[in-house]
Amino acid sequence: MSPVRRDILIGLAFLIAAIALPLLVPGRYIVTQSTLLFVWAIVVVQWNLVLGVGGIFSLAQMALFAAGAYATAMLGFYWKWPMLLAIPAGGVVAIVVSLVVGLACLRLKGPYVALLTLAVAQVMYVLIVNDTDCFTTTGGCMPLFGGVRGIGQFGDIGLRALFPSKWYVAHYYVALALLAVAIAFSVVVIRGPLGLAFRALRDNPGYAMSRGISRFKYQLWIFGVSAFFTGIAGGFYAVHFRVVGPSVFSFQLLLFLIAMIVVGGLGSIWGPLLGAVLLMFADEAMKEFSDYRNIGLGLLLAVFVIAWPNGIVGWIDTLRQRRRARKAAAELSR
Amino acid sequence: MTDVLIQIVASGLTLGAMYAVATVGLSLVYGSLNMLNMAHGAVLTLGGYVCYAAMTLAGLPAVLAFAVAAAVCAAAGLAIYFAAALPLLRSGNFETNIFIATIGIGSVIENLMLKTFGPYPIPQPLAVPGHLIVGGVHIPYQNLFILGVALALMAAVAVLLQRTRTGRAIRATSMNRDAAQLMGVRVGKVYAQVLALSGALAAVSGIMISSIATLTPVMGGDPMLKAFIVCVVAGLGNVYGAVVAAILLGLIEAGTQYVFGVRWSFAILLLIVIVVLIWRPYGLFGRQQVVRL
Repeated sequence: MSPVRRDILIGLAFLIAAIALPLLVPGRYIVTQSTLLFVWAIVVVQWNLVLGVGGIFSLAQMALFAAGAYATAMLGFYWKWPMLLAIPAGGVVAIVVSLVVGLACLRLKGPYVALLTLAVAQVMYVLIVNDTDCFTTTGGCMPLFGGVRGIGQFGDIGLRALFPSKWYVAHYYVALALLAVAIAFSVVVIRGPLGLAFRALRDNPGYAMSRGISRFKYQLWIFGVSAFFTGIAGGFYAVHFRVVGPSVFSFQLLLFLIAMIVVGGLGSIWGPLLGAVLLMFADEAMKEFSDYRNIGLGLLLAVFVIAWPNGIVGWIDTLRQRRRARKAAAELSR
Repeated sequence: MTDVLIQIVASGLTLGAMYAVATVGLSLVYGSLNMLNMAHGAVLTLGGYVCYAAMTLAGLPAVLAFAVAAAVCAAAGLAIYFAAALPLLRSGNFETNIFIATIGIGSVIENLMLKTFGPYPIPQPLAVPGHLIVGGVHIPYQNLFILGVALALMAAVAVLLQRTRTGRAIRATSMNRDAAQLMGVRVGKVYAQVLALSGALAAVSGIMISSIATLTPVMGGDPMLKAFIVCVVAGLGNVYGAVVAAILLGLIEAGTQYVFGVRWSFAILLLIVIVVLIWRPYGLFGRQQVVRL
């Protein structure tokens, strides 16, 4: 089976299971939690493109998510844009932010990139949280970016009005559709020319560069395009929760998302999705011990990186290779 | 006007001194292992809390509490080496993996402290009362104490690096790991020493930072980020450059805080860093390494 065909099959299986879920388990809690899962899955699938495929050690992914979410909310709040327009606009804003960050950071060496992107996210957070000057006073004092409380009341995509009692199922399918597009895009990137370029740069940088493959150019590309989907996920998140606050910058959330990628398998197509599903499940199962949540997450992250650096998908791959090798050996000896 | 200047210089030097102590540890570790220790902030907080616990709960005198905190954090550094760095050094892609692993370890340490000491700010008992008056400006003895401790520590680290056998091994390893190993330097031992030293330095800076602010479980994050920025400006792994850059950034921070307000100081700091990095991608004092493909 060719890799692309396998990807299509896995994707279809996941899609069918996900479409069937609200019909089989109609409980509201499960559906809304799965919606959140899809949002995080979009983020980690795109982050994986940057981190695992492009080799850019960026920690600014949640800052891009926030850029999309805040842009959507602010367009709706200040200019009364309809949400169906504001969400894609949020994606575009995320691209612009990513290009500015990328132009400043991507020429640097790996660890410098990690630190600078982390610092950029932190500065955005500090500027938003410490802003106490009133920008508007309609409905109480509100700073330009909403300050600590965030921005609310910026409109809706209309599904709440359309399906008054089942709007959360409608949102579930919207999130699923967005995730499907995001995953399809990641498959295209990884299997397509962009992925090929990065594989060439990784396998033999000298040869790749002498054939005219510019690392900086392709890194900027992958950084920008993945920012688009991340920003759209942010916009949807804003609409779904009806509020955007500085909590999206929290380090715990960053930890949670990076753990998804690492547990699933950095750089693989299906690893981040698998990691997202597993960690959301684990998070639910451990609800009672929520005091220990961050200790558990930290341990999980450290243990996985040390023991299984390629995640679960990488582990499965080694198992398959070993089995294939054994089969080949058995055929030879026959 | 001169009063304001004296004020800015005094608080800038204090800030710079604290950043310098926090940074030297990070820079040493990066220089010798190529490891960005994201648990550094948590170790720093641990130092502050251990000092607090030793003084109030165990009733130890300040000097002893200082030593206990440094010892505990050195042990934490060793633990990070044996639990995370050593196994990861054997596999590929060390720089990325150790970065992620230490993010996890840092979170564990931080949350363990949150569980033990609670989320509320605690004052650090190690404080020096009184103040000095220079040209109409009150300078607390606390600030002078911090400056003095930092200078003494920097001098001690410099002597260690320049004058002792251990220091020579550390310098040799950070210059060229393979060559040092071929010359008979036990690289593993150097790594362990460097991480322990970095832990002890983090403890000292944790105690100092908490003595002019308060102890909270998340207090390590901000100084760590600033220490990283200092490292980046100086060039990762450049210890002496880091001290200069730390004091420069401390002065700049104090200045921008006065001129533009606290809110903008971090943003302006970052802007300066980005400009510096565009101008010199390997930091102010970093030398460009020629990588052979």
